[in-house]
Amino acid sequence: MSVSQSSVVLKNLTKSFGAVDVIKGVDLEIAPGEFCVFVGPSGCGKSTLLRLISGLEEATSGTIEIAGRDVTHAEPSERGIAMVFQSYALYPHLTVRENIGFGLSLAKRPKAEIAARVEAAAAVLQLGPYLDRKPKALSGGQRQRVAIGRAMVRDPNVFLLDEPLSNLDAALRAQMRIELTDLHKKLGATMIYVTHDQVEAMTMADKIVVLNAGQIEQVGSPMELYNAPVSPFVAGFIGSPKMNLVPNVMGCATYGIRPEHLDLSTSAGQWQGTIRHVERLGAEVILYLQTEAMGELVLRLPGQSAPPPGSIAYATPQPGRAFQF
Amino acid sequence: MTRRRSPYPYWFVLPAAVVFTVLFLVPTLASLWFSLTRWDLFTASFIGLDNYRQFFKEPFLVQGLVNTVIYAALTSVSKSVLGLLLAVLLTSGILWQSFLRAVIFFPVLVSTIGVGITFTALMHPTRGAINIGLAAIGIHGPAWLSNPELALYSVAFIDLWKGIGLATLIYIAGLAAISPDYYEAARIDGATRVQQFWRVTVPLVRPATVTVVTLSLIGGLRSFDIIWATTRGGPGFASDVLASVIYKQYQAGFYGLATAGNVILFALIALIILPLTWWFNKREIDL
Ligand SMILES: Nc1ncnc2c1ncn2[C@@H]1O[C@H](COP(=O)(O)OP(=O)(O)O)[C@@H](O)[C@H]1O
Ligand SMILES: [Mg+2]
Repeated sequence: MSVSQSSVVLKNLTKSFGAVDVIKGVDLEIAPGEFCVFVGPSGCGKSTLLRLISGLEEATSGTIEIAGRDVTHAEPSERGIAMVFQSYALYPHLTVRENIGFGLSLAKRPKAEIAARVEAAAAVLQLGPYLDRKPKALSGGQRQRVAIGRAMVRDPNVFLLDEPLSNLDAALRAQMRIELTDLHKKLGATMIYVTHDQVEAMTMADKIVVLNAGQIEQVGSPMELYNAPVSPFVAGFIGSPKMNLVPNVMGCATYGIRPEHLDLSTSAGQWQGTIRHVERLGAEVILYLQTEAMGELVLRLPGQSAPPPGSIAYATPQPGRAFQF
Repeated sequence: MTRRRSPYPYWFVLPAAVVFTVLFLVPTLASLWFSLTRWDLFTASFIGLDNYRQFFKEPFLVQGLVNTVIYAALTSVSKSVLGLLLAVLLTSGILWQSFLRAVIFFPVLVSTIGVGITFTALMHPTRGAINIGLAAIGIHGPAWLSNPELALYSVAFIDLWKGIGLATLIYIAGLAAISPDYYEAARIDGATRVQQFWRVTVPLVRPATVTVVTLSLIGGLRSFDIIWATTRGGPGFASDVLASVIYKQYQAGFYGLATAGNVILFALIALIILPLTWWFNKREIDL
């Protein structure tokens, strides 16, 4: 038996639903205290992978270790994990206090201990004033925090979060990203966070795991994935607007250049084209250039000025910024 | 706060109001009046509360009242409890699930009179299949429908057998409305199957419980046809309920007394159902 330094270790993990292989051999190590984000398009198996770790789904083959212990066949409650659901799964008939203390009361902990631990979690999450309300009387962000509180009182080795922000509006999502990052620093616990939103992945993760069709495409820090994607899939998934990917040009299978790494000129440059569309965002301009050689290229230019649609312009890649796959 | 105006003009309620007045309000008020009279088809003479006084003086009428409450409570509690348990069983992914659902729902479709006749045969003390079966394992079965101690409970059992399918069906729909996330969250928190039932299923299936309890209580309080098809309220008055008592008084020509019984039945239903509905609704707001 090997004692692992890692918090979570997956070895050749697979999961099939009948004849459908959803997770096709995943190997992964997550360090203690790491904020690890599973990201990928909808249906790529992120939730399934998370549910395998939680024990809500049984692995078809392979092993799962949490905190150095093989938990492949352990019950969810015996894995030292806690989960935050996309729907929050707050019990509508219980108050915030009872929801947070639900697991402790199932385990028949003494009343005083439950009260103390609920109060402590509520203090961290600033839920004190709402403890006697029902979930219905809370805002989306507050419900989110109750769901996190319910996970916190379990004092888990690993927090599992499945798209926890996807039910919130854009402004609240941005705020909760920061709150979650702060909470992670405060608790120092390992967190595994599932999202299809690359912005959440980039802004929150220590480590990003890019999944594609049930397999790991690449693992790395946000900047590693941005600066050195190993495949067109990762290149296209990380960064917004997405990288220009052009097949079968410049002597390679796929040529990639990010919109922010293309310069625009009205007089001369590498690829000539017609400006089809201009989006002004205030601080920057997103410009769509229809070229002969490269098809449609998207450019991201600082400032507010751009030539009008219909005019001729030239795009030139910044040196050393292109990818060849 | 301003009240939102209804998008429909007031005269839209007219057809419903007419139907309600003709079919409900007029007969109810008429029977209230007739219950205060001695009447036949052509004449009515006002006698005040004499019918009610007589009703509560007759021991068998009072027993009918008591029996009604026992019968309604028994059938409604047993339908709710067993209906929920069956629904949980039939949604747990056991073998033959859809077949079993059909089997349980089948009695709902059979005519009540048919069920009564069938069970009268099945429950026959000597020639009935139930007692023949019991005899085979060495038990001497009782006279289910002709023992005065037992008759009311036997009929309640038949009612349960016939009505359980509907209760189960309502509960199955109620269970389907509970998000699986609640159970998964509970599993992660370490809830056992029993804890999941008491702490997740029972509270979250409440809307279905309200429906089943209310429907079966009203049905039980007004119950007549199964009783009439099996015991006719007998032996003696042992399994008489208000509805069968009223019917007998009417047959015997005591129209005033029968109408008074009707008003009492109506009052009883209102007295039980209205506070119950109020209490259910009050708690509903919390959900
Ligand atoms: N219980 C299940 N039975 C059958 N197929 C499933 C089940 N759960 C998920 N899948 C399939 O597995 C694939 C991955 O699903 P999921 O892990 O939910 O994706 P993601 O979370 O990345 O959007 C999907 O194609 C989905 O249809
Ligand atoms: Mg998912």
